[in-house]
Amino acid sequence: MQPAPEMLHTLSNCFLQTLAPNPEPRKLAENYLKQAAEQDGYGLAVLRLLTEQNVDDQVRQAAAVNFKNHVKYRWAPANSDLSAINEAEKDQIKALVVNMMLSAPPKIQSQLSEALAIISKHDFPKKWGSLLPELVTSLKNAGSDYSVTNGVLQTVNSIFKQFRYLYKSAELYVDLKYCLDEFAAPLLEIFVRTSQLIGSNAQSPNVLKPLFECQRLCCRIFYSLNYQELPEFFEDNMKQWMSLFHDYLVYENPLLKESRDDKESVLDQVKAAVCENINLYMEKNEEEFKDYLPGFAADIWGLLMKVSLSSSHDRLAMTAIKFLTTVSKSVHHNLFNQPDALKQICESIVIPNVELRDDDEELFEMNQLEYIRRDMEGSDIDTRRRVACELVKGLSTYFSQEVNSMFSAYVRGMMDRYSTNPLQNWKSKDCALFLVTALAPKQIPGSATGSSLVDIDQFFATAILPELQCEDVNSQPILKADAIKFVTTFRVQLPKQVSLTLIPHLARFLLSESNVVHSYSALCIERMLIIRDGKQLRFGAQDLAPFMSVLLNNLFAALKLPESQENVYVMKCIMRVLSNGDIAQYATNCLDQLVNILSVLYKNPSNPTFSHYLFEAIAALVRRSCEKSPELVGIFEVKLFPVFQDILALDVIEFAPYVFQIMAQLIDTRNPPLPPTYIGLFPHLLTPVLWQRSANVPALVRLLQSYLQRASGEIIQAKQLEPVLGVFEKLINSKNTDHHGFFIINTVVEYLDYQVLSNYVTGIWNLLFMRLQTHRTGKFIKSLIVFMSLFCVKYGHDILVESIQNIQQGLFLTIIQTFWVPHLLSITGDIEVKLCAVASTKLLCESPVLQTDAAIPVWGKLLNSLITLLIRPEEERVEDEGDVPDLDEMVGYTAVYAQLYNAGKKEEDPVKEVQDAKQLLVISLAKLSSCAPGKFPAIIQQSVEPANQAGLAQFCNTYNCSIV
Amino acid sequence: MLNPVDHSPASRRDQFKAAVGNVAGERRRKQAIIIGKERRDAVVRAKRMRRADDNDEGMMYDEPFSDKIINEETVRAVQELKFLFSSSSKDSSQKKIEALRKLRRLLSCSSNPPVASAVEAGVVPILVKCLEFGSSDEQLVEAAWSLTNIASGDSELTLAILPALPLLIAHLGERSAAPVAEQCAWAVGNVAGEGEQARDLLSSQGALLPLAKLLLLNKPMLVKTAAWALSNIIKGPSSKAAVELFKVDGLSEAIIRHLTKGDEELVVEIAWVVVYITSLAESQTKLLIKSGLLPPLVAWLSSSESLSLLTPVLRSVGNLVAGDNSNTDALLDAAKDLPGGLFGCLVRCLGSEHRTLQKEAAWTVSNIVAGSLQHKQLVFGSRVVPTLLHLLATSTFDVRKEAAFALGNLSVMPAGESQLPQPIMEHLSMLVERGCLPGFINLVKSPDLEASRLGLQFLELVLRGLPNGQGSKLVEKEEGLAALEVLEYHDNDDLRSMANELIDKYYGEDYGLEEEYGPGIAEVVRGGEEYPSWRKGRGGI
Repeated sequence: MQPAPEMLHTLSNCFLQTLAPNPEPRKLAENYLKQAAEQDGYGLAVLRLLTEQNVDDQVRQAAAVNFKNHVKYRWAPANSDLSAINEAEKDQIKALVVNMMLSAPPKIQSQLSEALAIISKHDFPKKWGSLLPELVTSLKNAGSDYSVTNGVLQTVNSIFKQFRYLYKSAELYVDLKYCLDEFAAPLLEIFVRTSQLIGSNAQSPNVLKPLFECQRLCCRIFYSLNYQELPEFFEDNMKQWMSLFHDYLVYENPLLKESRDDKESVLDQVKAAVCENINLYMEKNEEEFKDYLPGFAADIWGLLMKVSLSSSHDRLAMTAIKFLTTVSKSVHHNLFNQPDALKQICESIVIPNVELRDDDEELFEMNQLEYIRRDMEGSDIDTRRRVACELVKGLSTYFSQEVNSMFSAYVRGMMDRYSTNPLQNWKSKDCALFLVTALAPKQIPGSATGSSLVDIDQFFATAILPELQCEDVNSQPILKADAIKFVTTFRVQLPKQVSLTLIPHLARFLLSESNVVHSYSALCIERMLIIRDGKQLRFGAQDLAPFMSVLLNNLFAALKLPESQENVYVMKCIMRVLSNGDIAQYATNCLDQLVNILSVLYKNPSNPTFSHYLFEAIAALVRRSCEKSPELVGIFEVKLFPVFQDILALDVIEFAPYVFQIMAQLIDTRNPPLPPTYIGLFPHLLTPVLWQRSANVPALVRLLQSYLQRASGEIIQAKQLEPVLGVFEKLINSKNTDHHGFFIINTVVEYLDYQVLSNYVTGIWNLLFMRLQTHRTGKFIKSLIVFMSLFCVKYGHDILVESIQNIQQGLFLTIIQTFWVPHLLSITGDIEVKLCAVASTKLLCESPVLQTDAAIPVWGKLLNSLITLLIRPEEERVEDEGDVPDLDEMVGYTAVYAQLYNAGKKEEDPVKEVQDAKQLLVISLAKLSSCAPGKFPAIIQQSVEPANQAGLAQFCNTYNCSIV
Repeated sequence: MLNPVDHSPASRRDQFKAAVGNVAGERRRKQAIIIGKERRDAVVRAKRMRRADDNDEGMMYDEPFSDKIINEETVRAVQELKFLFSSSSKDSSQKKIEALRKLRRLLSCSSNPPVASAVEAGVVPILVKCLEFGSSDEQLVEAAWSLTNIASGDSELTLAILPALPLLIAHLGERSAAPVAEQCAWAVGNVAGEGEQARDLLSSQGALLPLAKLLLLNKPMLVKTAAWALSNIIKGPSSKAAVELFKVDGLSEAIIRHLTKGDEELVVEIAWVVVYITSLAESQTKLLIKSGLLPPLVAWLSSSESLSLLTPVLRSVGNLVAGDNSNTDALLDAAKDLPGGLFGCLVRCLGSEHRTLQKEAAWTVSNIVAGSLQHKQLVFGSRVVPTLLHLLATSTFDVRKEAAFALGNLSVMPAGESQLPQPIMEHLSMLVERGCLPGFINLVKSPDLEASRLGLQFLELVLRGLPNGQGSKLVEKEEGLAALEVLEYHDNDDLRSMANELIDKYYGEDYGLEEEYGPGIAEVVRGGEEYPSWRKGRGGI
């Protein structure tokens, strides 16, 4: 099928238009392409376009990208909205793409190579048997054309990568064996051939570079093919591979240096790839590799002695250090068991790599977030400092004493060097502090106890305290940050009295100009405030009282420092101080500050974490002050409502859920009646548009519950019950939100009289049973049982039965039999279990509907389920039914609901009057059975499982009742 | 999960793991696709050349003759044979024998036997002729010997002797003299060592039963060779040959007899036959056990110092415990009077200096502890545990991985109906206390996906199993959280999502909340959205 020239012309024009700066023609072209992509033959046509020599390069590039995406989405569409490319076209594409890729210019080649990799993910090797032979042939015919060679290798590399991440399986091994049979020998051949060329072209960098790129790709393919296990071919040819690996580790050629200092040279890339390969062998094939180990250890050693601190060498240095780490932990660790060896590793490899580099200093000043992430939050997995520390830990596996004594000596030495000239040698101290904190044994999250390197108390007194007592909060900021980090790390171990003396100093550092320093300071205070000794907070309100004023002042002041307006650490610390300290006298002032921040923030919400803690802080204020002094609620409302109203009016979707939660919290603290403002707002809360956003739903439900609880009278009066039930109806019909619907209707039942509800009750049952019929899920059935139980205990079993029977005679019994009995055991949560148990007991022992002869089997089964519910622990009863959320319904939500801990709702037990559900059951059964002696023991015998019978007997025994 | 129907060793050892996966045990059993080199012992075993006899005076070709000379010499020898065996030649049989012997000596010279030249020169059809019925025993032996050595070479050369197979097999019969039968068995064994297809061919040509019948004899040399050849034919992956073997009456008894009374070399060969039977043929294995397989097996395990003997014996035991729990019980019983019982034997192997034995023994233990709760408890109370812990901390990767499987299985209840394996608290907390956690965390970080998953599963167990959130603190203290973080972006979907789940669940937003809000908070917060309580908002702070 040859695409018509006109079509190619149109396509070509379209791709040109997609590059247009003007959005209108661009959109038009994009839409056209989207539609065209639906047609058969589109992929092939775009592919053809790539070969048209007279088409502009730009256009061909755009087409190449488009082709790759076309293949990505339509080769085997995961999403059924997109039509798949038909098989005939696929075959044609597969027949063309290899050669086209190899002959294309570099930019197009890389796109086609990616496309090829995508196709091979689905089709290779089973449905694309010709691919690998074709690639091997191209490789053999490439001769000295390394653009072809490298194109082939790049492709092979990407299709073989799967061997690095799939589990062993028979299928995978069939594929792997096929790839090995086809490619292991050619790979070695090209690797050897290229190394000879490298030898003979040492003087011409332009020739060398593609050759080294080739070797790099060979090394990566080696890695993939050896990942699962050591293949026979590679074991047989290990010597040849290893000897070339050695050659590259020691190869030097100044001509290959990059002109830019931060760019990794291709030679270093090859070396790094070799390091990864020998590391793999060292990790998995120690035995086969052991003869080569001493040689490689020496190579790596030599390499690390030479490697510079420039960031272009980062990767090489790290992979090389990782190799030594692997060796240090392996059975061959004795390689390092010579005094000089350990010493050299530590002094010439570890220490230089943990010393602060210029790059780090720059980061400290220019990109504080990244600095903190690496230095404090453990996102330093791929930094030299971390990798060097891992090496120290590796060495400590077998030589812990030696390593410890060496490093204590280094730390002492560094501190000595620092003290000879603190201004000039400050980096020595930084290094010492880094080592002490990084190598400290970890204890609880993010903290440490003890150190094998120094005496903590003494080190604290001599090295840390002076930094913290320093008058000038802006001098030597990195050392200040180190010292504060030290306190944070060892916070649990520091005596309380010492910590208390530190708080004013830490408070001062909140005002340091350095973002890292004031962030660390906030973090340190925040972490200190959550230390618990036993269940008790270490620092109570009384301990904090003397510092409240300065802490709050400086914290709010820190938020005014440049680039810290949305400093998460500071805001979190504010939240913590407000949660723990005695805030009575600061409450309104703090609220003013928080409201000010909020009123700026909502115009441009950008940092969700900061916003979250801001609202947490407000919620903490409400919780801690309004609950104590209800008269403050009014003042709070006055301050909060204007900005809340703006947020709702401007529809700031990120913040609305928070606003609803805090309003609910305010309502909860109020005593009825609610002021008219709230009542006036109520109808707006029921507008459908608000409920369409999934992030709003939980918060609105929470708010609605508070309203129903505190202002049911007003709601009924304002004729708002019907709209509330409307919301319920909407929520109940989706399986993603049905539980929220139940939250609402449960609250209605809990706080409203039956009289009010009686007009609607038939509608409610109809709605629920309809949903039960059409779209039942485990979650829905459970929620329904809980709702019916609540209905039963609140309004009485007779109303429950009657209102359901009104819909259809006999329906109630069917529901019990079909749903209640089998699903009762999947109820979870203490309160829920108790509620359902009480309701089941009432139905069993009080409701006449279950006492008829026809109902006897149901009665027995219900009792059996109930006993299971009461005697077996949740994890044994409940199976994960794996309801999958409906993705379609979730599409389009932007804001995420985040619950505020400080605005949580207290849960109430709807059956407080019942102390013990088991007791209630046996007492009720005893009473029931005494009316018809002999009847019930027989039923029990017949329908209750033996284990449950035993359980029941035990209850009877415990509560001294008998079923006669 | 232990699938009640499937009792393959893989499913047993995998108890600890999630449903997917494949293990060494399964590879060993099915040998479906071999990527790595066959284990050294297996390679050494697969094909054997027969060197010159001691009584061959004047080892003329042992000296450093150049390959060229030897090759020329060989071609000449073949041509001479051709001439002697052509119809026109009337030479005496003695002359033929001498020519055959000369060729055979050339093909037995130690450095680099010129088998390729011989084949190229057309030696095979003549040798086939030499094997015809009615030939002298001496001639038969010499011809079969040459064929043996040709078949000990590369694949091509091995396959070159296929035309000789019918006659070689015919001479295995009971009417043949022992030396003839032995040499023919040897040649057949080499062909079987070539691979699955060659084995199928041999079976279809009827090599199996005559070889098996040779085992009934009391001629140690012959039985040894026959057993070796037999082990090559029955090694699978199909179980057909191993099952068919038992058509020979009295085979079980003969196997047990040799195993009990044979010299060490004979026991080695017989034990390899047992290895394949126990790995492939379940009811035949039961038959062997009934005939008394276990006492000699465990006796060797308990007393032998020889690696080549311990290897097949231990592997047989491993296959047996990979079967079902009753095998384990029977082994425990058979070894009850030996020092330390069955576990004493296994500890010996675990503590051996040979890595292959350590690995094999750890694999065996991992299968025992995949059994009943009682077996787990027995192992837990034995010296096996400290030895395993030591291996996990110090050994090479492959041994560590097997030891970890054993320790992992030791920590979980036999698979029940529930999705997640349930910890045996006593075992789990004791193992953690004795410091097994770093070993598992090392596995998490290893580049081996299976080992990584095993490590993760153990961490999950510790995080979930240990009371009061101790698990998360211990795991973090041993730098397990850092190991999990490394996997957060792994390309393997399963590992990535497992690691992320663990981090979210145990180190997520709620982690440290207990520190902040007091005990119980995490559950309160977690109760939130996923499995909603019947009303909104569980619990205030």
